[in-house]
Amino acid sequence: LRTHKKMWAVVAALMLALFVAACGSSKDDDSGGSNQSASGKDCGTLTLNEQAWAGSTANTYIAKNALEDKLGCQIEITKIAEIPVYQAMADGKVDAVLEDWQHTDEYAKYIDKAGTVVMGGPLGVEGHIGWFIPKYLMDQHPEFKTWEGLKGKETLFKSPESGSQGMFLGGDPSYVQKDKELIKALGLNFKFVTAGAEPAQVARWSSLYKQKKPVLFYWYTPQYLNQEFDLAEVKLPPRTDANKDCKDDAKEGGDPSQYKCEYDVTIINKLFSKKFADSGSPAYDALKKMKLTNDDQEKVAKAIAGDHQDPDDAAKDWIKDNQSKVDAWFQ
Amino acid sequence: MAVASGRLRAPAFAAPTSRFRGRGAQAAGIVALLIVGYLLWKKDYSWPSSLAWDQLPRKLDKAQDWLLEQRTAHSNPFFAVLDAFRAVCDWLVTALLNALEWFTWVGTLAAGTLIVLRYGGWRAALTVFLAFVSFAVLGLWEESIQTLALMTAAVTISILIGVPIGVMAGRRERFYRAITPVLDAMQIVPAFAYLMPVVIVFSVGPAAAVICTLIYSIPPAVRITALGIRGVTPESVEASQALGATPTQTLLKVQLPLARRQLLLALNQTIMFALSLVVIAGLIGGRGLGDQVTSGLYSNPALAILAGIAIVIMAIALDRATAAIADRTDPARRQLTDEGRRRARTITLGTLGLIAVIVLASRALGADAIYPDQFETASTVYDANIQDTVLGWFNDALDYVQDPASFVFGITEPVGNFILEKMLQPVQNLLMDAPWFAVLACSTALAFVLSGLRPAIIAFLMLVLIGVMGVWEPSMDTASQVLVATAIAVVLGIVIGIWAAESPRVERVLRPILDTLQTLPQLVYIIPFIYLMPVSLVAGVVASVLYAIPVVIRLVTAGVRSVPPAPVEAAQAFGASRMQVLTKVKVPLARDSIMLGINQGLIMVLAVVVIGGLVGSGALGDQVARGLQRNEFGEGVVASVAILALGIALDRVTQGRRKANLGGGAA
Repeated sequence: LRTHKKMWAVVAALMLALFVAACGSSKDDDSGGSNQSASGKDCGTLTLNEQAWAGSTANTYIAKNALEDKLGCQIEITKIAEIPVYQAMADGKVDAVLEDWQHTDEYAKYIDKAGTVVMGGPLGVEGHIGWFIPKYLMDQHPEFKTWEGLKGKETLFKSPESGSQGMFLGGDPSYVQKDKELIKALGLNFKFVTAGAEPAQVARWSSLYKQKKPVLFYWYTPQYLNQEFDLAEVKLPPRTDANKDCKDDAKEGGDPSQYKCEYDVTIINKLFSKKFADSGSPAYDALKKMKLTNDDQEKVAKAIAGDHQDPDDAAKDWIKDNQSKVDAWFQ
Repeated sequence: MAVASGRLRAPAFAAPTSRFRGRGAQAAGIVALLIVGYLLWKKDYSWPSSLAWDQLPRKLDKAQDWLLEQRTAHSNPFFAVLDAFRAVCDWLVTALLNALEWFTWVGTLAAGTLIVLRYGGWRAALTVFLAFVSFAVLGLWEESIQTLALMTAAVTISILIGVPIGVMAGRRERFYRAITPVLDAMQIVPAFAYLMPVVIVFSVGPAAAVICTLIYSIPPAVRITALGIRGVTPESVEASQALGATPTQTLLKVQLPLARRQLLLALNQTIMFALSLVVIAGLIGGRGLGDQVTSGLYSNPALAILAGIAIVIMAIALDRATAAIADRTDPARRQLTDEGRRRARTITLGTLGLIAVIVLASRALGADAIYPDQFETASTVYDANIQDTVLGWFNDALDYVQDPASFVFGITEPVGNFILEKMLQPVQNLLMDAPWFAVLACSTALAFVLSGLRPAIIAFLMLVLIGVMGVWEPSMDTASQVLVATAIAVVLGIVIGIWAAESPRVERVLRPILDTLQTLPQLVYIIPFIYLMPVSLVAGVVASVLYAIPVVIRLVTAGVRSVPPAPVEAAQAFGASRMQVLTKVKVPLARDSIMLGINQGLIMVLAVVVIGGLVGSGALGDQVARGLQRNEFGEGVVASVAILALGIALDRVTQGRRKANLGGGAA
């Protein structure tokens, strides 16, 4: 029995040693968030948040590889959902979001009121939302160039979901939209059908596209699928001085006529955590200067999501081809 | 199957009781009335706005803003306590993760396998070993380890909180009844609804993920523990009291040991429930496999499916391991002599020693903390995993099912259209366009006829609550989808369930399939169906059918199996064919189980509704999802409460006259 006691002691000691060592090792690399040195020269570790779509993967990995290359930063990437990430920035757990599609409610709460998040200015990519149809359909029906051409031809877009009406396939419910109200305001005989999250919507319209059937849907640029599918846009009533109060986000509902115009161009913003902005990190200056065009972003996104290339490799390739652009961010 | 030969009249005892037949006729009559109401006043009476209180969402939004301001403003003692809790959770997850990484991948693999080998036997150990190997081979080692650490922390805390509450609930009937609605709410209210408040209070990261998981995984721990404590025979408790034991002694020495199996089942179920929330955790910085699923869904569906498979593998391995350990360490089954005990101790020591040696050796030899992407030898570099190849297959498969010229598409498209046009839309029209008072009256009457007075009152109140919250129409939309999905699940489930009850071979084939279906996180279901059934609404319905069907099949199989042999033998003596025995004797006698199957099926289907919102089911699920994605917190909460109310109403209508059974909830 005594030998057993001894053995127990040995094993217990071994286990304790393992545990202590494991805990000890946790301190070495426990460096989440931003801990730049006071000198302001050292980049240290910083955390970027990748949003759930391919375009965001593209710009996040471009930033990651550029910062690693030029400043020797350690970049961590999180994948937190669009709204919770504001709180993450407020708490300093995420340093930057590079592609934010105008969450004005959150701007008011976190930037203006609490001051825990800082506006980083436009990324250069401009979002454009609209009504799209396949190019082959536009070729057959040139009158679809504007929304008036749809009038009376709605039943062409009939589908199992829409009954006797034509189907308008709505966008991801999390995106800014007003199509239900627009259909009403324009007096069109469409049934607004939601396909749900973007992948489901894409699956729906691309299935009809592949069958060369008519389909009308909410869509936007920059989007890598635009390089894969030949789409054409249906013009909505233009924005003029007469309707300059026209709204885009029908979240609050109300009178449909206040939404009766095309979608405005969406300026895509970069956002920083206040802590990161005040840290004096050289990465902050670089990210502030970072600019991309729609084309840049779509190209890299296509390589990642369309051609299944590794995000790091796709970003590195783009950086190699666009050295001068990238260099400008670091001057 | 045997062809009916004798054309004997069915014996009297095999006929369903007249009461049931009467109830069936009454129910049909009520539905007919509803249809008449629909035909008379189509779209004429939607829920009147004067009876709806639409300020509720805005009030809730204000409450959330207030919470945010409190959190940002100053440190107050309330948040200090919560911060401390957060710190503990964060520390626990990080420490576990660091420990696993410190072990190196070789050490982790060895430790997991050897511990299960020691306590659970070689079969379970083999499962665990293969699970680890598959994580490595699929290139998801790091993510799997992160998920494992998160899970372990969440399950530990769930057990620490849930078991004491469960013990209390098991000993005090009134306490149990008081917390049951809370437990129901915790399980039915979708995580999407409370994600944002949790993030405001606990920020993002492992702690928030653990806390969200806790909300979902504590209820089964409480329920099953309570069930176990109650299951201890009163004789044992009385005997110990007669011997002068204090209540604490009775608990520790009699009740807990005798409830051992249930306690281990509680652990097992807590793990399963926690795992199903891993995907949601990905949305708030929980990292791991959940991350891959949520972001993969948008930019790389094949990777999302792969990560989903890894989650299932983890679930199966953990399930087998805990079940095997529970079985093998059951003291009732091993009468240990002193000699045996000493040997067991030696083996334990040997195992621990071996683990320590392997860990230290692999560290000394420079094994990586996580499984590497590539192996390098002097001359060449090998890929260490086959992720790219597997993703290639998945992408090919996804392309194939979406190709209009493919064989599969020729089946899925008409099937999808049929479900939509012939099943969903008629029911949707009926419930959404019929006058609200007709729907309300008929549902209440149905609940009265099928289940009794009390359930009828509760169903009525729940439906009124839905109307007052101003979500009558989306709720009816959701209800129609739930009804259609349940109908499909029940019909298929009864057929397959009876078949499995009759043929052990079928059951053996089905078991692993049902296990997989039950452990697969709900979001993972949806992904393939988005591509297989692109017609909106249908993907959600098909996914809910698959989610609900295992429960229905299991209940039906168990019900048919438990039919006493006497009536069966009697029927056979009368010369009834196998088919006749089945339809005239077994099925009628298994009626209660089948009714329970319908009831549980409904609840399971309802659980997928929110996820369905992500793939075009619209209605309440959509509203909940938007609550998080567009920060319409109030709307999301209202929709969640409506889902809960709808769940209770549907439960009451279909619960039948059986007694409310303890341990209810999702299986």
